[in-house]
Amino acid sequence: MDPAEVEFLAEKEMVKIIPNFSLDKIYLIGGDLGPFNPGLPVEVPVWLALNLKQRQKCRIVPPEWMDTDKLEEIREQERKLDTFTPIPSLYYMELTKLLLNHSADNIPKADEIRTLVKDIWDTRVAKLRLSADSFISQQEAHAQLDNLTLMEINTTRSFLLDSLNYMYKLRSNLQPGRSQDY
Amino acid sequence: MPCERKPMRYGHSEGHTDVCFDDEGKCIVTCGSDGDVRIWESLDDDDPKSINVGEKVYSVALKNGKLVTAVSNNTVQIHTFPEGDPDGILTRFTTNANHVTFNSSGSRVAAGSSDFIVKIVEVVDSSQQKTLRGHDAPILSVALDPSDEFLASSSCDGSVTVWSIESQTQVAQWKILQKSSDVSNAKSLCRLAWQPHSGKLLAVPVDLTVQLYDKNTWTHVSTLSDDLITQVVNVVVWSPCGKFLAAGTVGGNLLIWDVEAKLCIERQKHEKGFTVCGMAWHPSGVRIAYTDTEGCLGLLEGVSSSSPSSSSTVQSTKATAAKEKNDYDDLFDEDDDRMLDEGMSDSRSPVKKPVMEEDDDDDDLMPATGRPRNRGSFLDDDDNSQDAGSVKLDGVPEEDGSSAILPAVGPAVSRPVYEGPMPTQPQRAFQPGSTPVHLMHRFMVWNSVGIVRGYNDDQDNAIDVEFHDTAVHHAMHLTNTLGHTMADLSQEAVLLACEGTDELASKIQCLHFSCWDTHKDWIVDLPKGEDVRALCLGQGWAAVATSALMVRLFSIGGVQKEIFSLPGAAVCMAGHGEQLLIVYHRGTGFDGDQALGVQLLQLGSKRRQVIHGEPLPLSRKSYLAWLGFTAEGTPCCIDSEGVVRMLNRTLGNTWTPVCNTRDSCKSRSDHYWVVGVHENPQQLRCIPCKGSRFPPTLPRPAVAVLPFNLPYCQTTTEKGQMEEQYWRSMLFHNHFGFLSSSGYEIDSEGQSQAEKEQQELLMKMFALSCKLEREFRCVELAEMMTHSVVTLAIRYASRSRRMALAQRLSELALEKANQFQEEELEEEEPTYQRGSRQMSSRQAQVENGCEEEEEEEEDYPQEEQMDAEESTETRMPSKYASLLKCIKITVFKEGRVNPFKVSGAGKSSSSPAGQPRTTNVLDSMTVSSRKPTPLGGTSKQGKAPVLKPLAPKPKSKTQATLLQMSASKGSSKKLENSQTEAEKVKPAPAATPPASVENVENRKPKTGFQLWLEENRKSILTDNPDFKEMDVIKEGMGRFRTLSAEERLNWTEKAKGDSDPKKRKREDEEQLNEQMESDEGSAKKKKPLDTSAKLSAFAFNKE
Repeated sequence: MDPAEVEFLAEKEMVKIIPNFSLDKIYLIGGDLGPFNPGLPVEVPVWLALNLKQRQKCRIVPPEWMDTDKLEEIREQERKLDTFTPIPSLYYMELTKLLLNHSADNIPKADEIRTLVKDIWDTRVAKLRLSADSFISQQEAHAQLDNLTLMEINTTRSFLLDSLNYMYKLRSNLQPGRSQDY
Repeated sequence: MPCERKPMRYGHSEGHTDVCFDDEGKCIVTCGSDGDVRIWESLDDDDPKSINVGEKVYSVALKNGKLVTAVSNNTVQIHTFPEGDPDGILTRFTTNANHVTFNSSGSRVAAGSSDFIVKIVEVVDSSQQKTLRGHDAPILSVALDPSDEFLASSSCDGSVTVWSIESQTQVAQWKILQKSSDVSNAKSLCRLAWQPHSGKLLAVPVDLTVQLYDKNTWTHVSTLSDDLITQVVNVVVWSPCGKFLAAGTVGGNLLIWDVEAKLCIERQKHEKGFTVCGMAWHPSGVRIAYTDTEGCLGLLEGVSSSSPSSSSTVQSTKATAAKEKNDYDDLFDEDDDRMLDEGMSDSRSPVKKPVMEEDDDDDDLMPATGRPRNRGSFLDDDDNSQDAGSVKLDGVPEEDGSSAILPAVGPAVSRPVYEGPMPTQPQRAFQPGSTPVHLMHRFMVWNSVGIVRGYNDDQDNAIDVEFHDTAVHHAMHLTNTLGHTMADLSQEAVLLACEGTDELASKIQCLHFSCWDTHKDWIVDLPKGEDVRALCLGQGWAAVATSALMVRLFSIGGVQKEIFSLPGAAVCMAGHGEQLLIVYHRGTGFDGDQALGVQLLQLGSKRRQVIHGEPLPLSRKSYLAWLGFTAEGTPCCIDSEGVVRMLNRTLGNTWTPVCNTRDSCKSRSDHYWVVGVHENPQQLRCIPCKGSRFPPTLPRPAVAVLPFNLPYCQTTTEKGQMEEQYWRSMLFHNHFGFLSSSGYEIDSEGQSQAEKEQQELLMKMFALSCKLEREFRCVELAEMMTHSVVTLAIRYASRSRRMALAQRLSELALEKANQFQEEELEEEEPTYQRGSRQMSSRQAQVENGCEEEEEEEEDYPQEEQMDAEESTETRMPSKYASLLKCIKITVFKEGRVNPFKVSGAGKSSSSPAGQPRTTNVLDSMTVSSRKPTPLGGTSKQGKAPVLKPLAPKPKSKTQATLLQMSASKGSSKKLENSQTEAEKVKPAPAATPPASVENVENRKPKTGFQLWLEENRKSILTDNPDFKEMDVIKEGMGRFRTLSAEERLNWTEKAKGDSDPKKRKREDEEQLNEQMESDEGSAKKKKPLDTSAKLSAFAFNKE
């Protein structure tokens, strides 16, 4: 799974937009959307929100958690604890990126939010690396990590699995019984 | 305890706050960690004046028009009060000051800082400073003694020190506090306080108690404590009289002690239990303002400081006397008032309460659209004679015996001033959906079309027009050279207007963007001296109300059209389509009420006045906050209490409250700012505003949708809920009628849906009343139903064994049917008329038939014959039969109604002869009630458990009894159809599941005669091969009559019980057959349940 796929999944998240056009309900496989009334907030998936935004057909209302105070609090929490803290959205990284890239003008303090989310991300990924490190160094058979998002899992999966494979190979080579095979 | 804790309101952002009163006690001044100092006219002030003094404010003190603040940039600043202009820096520290305070005369300021230093500075000459060094940790609090001799300070080093100001040396020191490293870590703010006037005692909050130290001996005199205090005391303040001490704790407790008696006379708890970090006693001593660390401001009102109950009667008389005196004092003294008050504090302070009610009342009167403090001067005038009078009158009713001390009338009698109701300041003209004019960035209008924003700051004086729907027009940016303050926006144009100045006349500017020529705008100057007060746009026209009490109409292209005078100064206007709604001052309101009148004009082709200046209803002591039309064109208004009222055109243009936006507010100071009302779907579009009446332009506010909720009684009960829903639906359904009558297209689907919803609700209410055995109420409800629904109700009633009810309903249904027919008759073509006449003649016959039947006992065949005869008699040419088929179901309903009449008659006649008939009818009712359930009664069935036990029975009975019903009905044309066609085509229609009318018809002919006829048809036909169907029946009837009575009875039995399965199976559905049989059984079982047990007995006998 590459990040683009994860981002694709994130685009299914709902976000509030304020359309500047009027349209009846639209019926899609995934469910009905609308009706769209100019000036009245309506919930749509991110992909549609971005599409409309790019055509300048709406303003995007940032999700509730996309607020400097809340994010700061989360960051502090994240830094304080050794474990992963629950995150307001499972796709916080993707959504931040998507929304800030496409509709930064609708989001107050966009730059601050970008920095904060990046901080949170860095903290979490550092924790992830740390835990992977201790996992390997202690030669544990299993470990439980809660509150990880898909994107975070995705960043470490390929690396971790590959390295574990290699290590397994190397270790098994060390065993005397096996060594004669080669 | 007569003390009242007012609800907290949002004051500042979260963090440390401080509070004080101004010298007269007119304003509450707060500061907070948001760096603002706010000046509140009262707790309810929606538009407090804000002065930004720095990044964070730690402490504020106010005296003699000087506002001193300790700010995070390490300075102590002075601002003028109430203007809020910076007046220099008083002193600086190396780090921020934590507490500033004035001495009693206001000549000096003491400040304690985190750099361990206390400074005392002369206000007039800041170079004269005294520095007190000696603490080893940040200073928490400082207090100057009234004689200006000593200064007390508390510090994080755990000590409370008293300094001699002159010598700048320590006089006394007590290590009584807990040590801490910094103010932020300190357990308590440890605000010290000297007793006013004498300065004899110094109050120090120590842990859970307040300790009092004597000034002369510097010894600990007493300790005030209370069981309620569970957390550290943060703040202490003395009452202005020096007799009482109030304390606020970290746990949010507020306590007041009578110091001499060492009695806690008042215990209050912060509503959320937040830490109280600022407290101030009103100069009069009747109220205490306090703030918490969450930035909220609260008020303890009516701190009567009376000693607890000891001798209340004596005191009250004493108080009355004192009060009287006090009132006179108020009359003649102005500034001395306070001094006097302090002087005779013992008896006076309790009774000051009524006099000090002014803040609240002021606020109620004040419209928020302008600057309240600049107006309404008649009330918070400095003139005490006015003040005392008005305040008294307003204040007393509200008090409502909250304390026995105030005699409301006593002192008033001897007062020489006018004491009737006081006139209200008339509210200013405003544009609906605009924010106050004085704001630099404001909404000039926000409506369903778009938003017009006005910017009026240093760089820019501009207007932004933005459309919700960009398809209307793209956004516009205009420079506002003329200084427009009013705006309206429609799909066609933007209308702007400014008031005139000395040189320039008042101007109206219209940007007619939908115009197809190149000149898109026009400007009109009003005559000199005439100013625009309000304006609005409609479809193709614009209207402007002016200060000359005139309304000027313009076409959208700029042609001047009619002008007319208004009876009073315009408050605001709204336009929609061809309607113009004007609200103006009808007269002077009293005691906070506005006296507004409303006119509704119909422009366009049908020019007329719809509402002729009738009074506009508003809530008590409120003013108009919004006026407009719903998207569908119904006038709507909202007052400052948040009550939304809508015009009810069907009830003589009355105003119905449809929503109270304040109900949805989380906090008292929150409001909803309405931007639009929609009837279909029912939406109140508004912007939630935290802590204010209107939203700021930035960040861009988001629209929320509120539901409507009519204030009906007992909406927690099912009944109340349904009533509310019903009437709401009715009210919001009115616009269909209006729109169609004025020739607009209407959403007919929505209309029918609404109608359906209403009828469903009625039916539910009916079922509910049935369940509650409220039969009279049931009939009342049925009166509101359409008559097709009444038949459902009848079925319901009869199924739940309420015969009296069913009978009444059937009468009602008949009435309704007649009414309906009359209406139809007027409209429908003559052929139909004939049909309906036919119907009514048939009715008469049915009744005849019934009477005859009474004579001839249980003679079904006979009856059947008669029916058949009648049917032949009344038979119309064949085209009539086809016509009948397409007659609306409602007509059939009428036919179905008749049996009830009959049944009623049959039942009332006690002769046994009448009974079989009754049985039939009853059966048919239960039967038919089965049928509607899948149609309209599904929900009803779920709701009314009464129905459930009956459910199996009607099913089995359905068909069998339907036959009898048809029989009892006599000769309907349906019967005629059925007798002929249905016989032949029977199997097919009987199988069709939906209970259509046709289906019913087809099952009808299952009577004795019918069966007989089936058998004998062939023989008749062979005898008379050229007979037509009609003749066959005639002939058959003749032959049937010739049969012996016994034979006939046999046939009837057959018809009932269907004892001839072979035959039936061939011709009829098996299912039907079974049902017939089971019917027999069930009929036996169920009949005893029936209203008349006799009937069942009869049924047994018969079989």
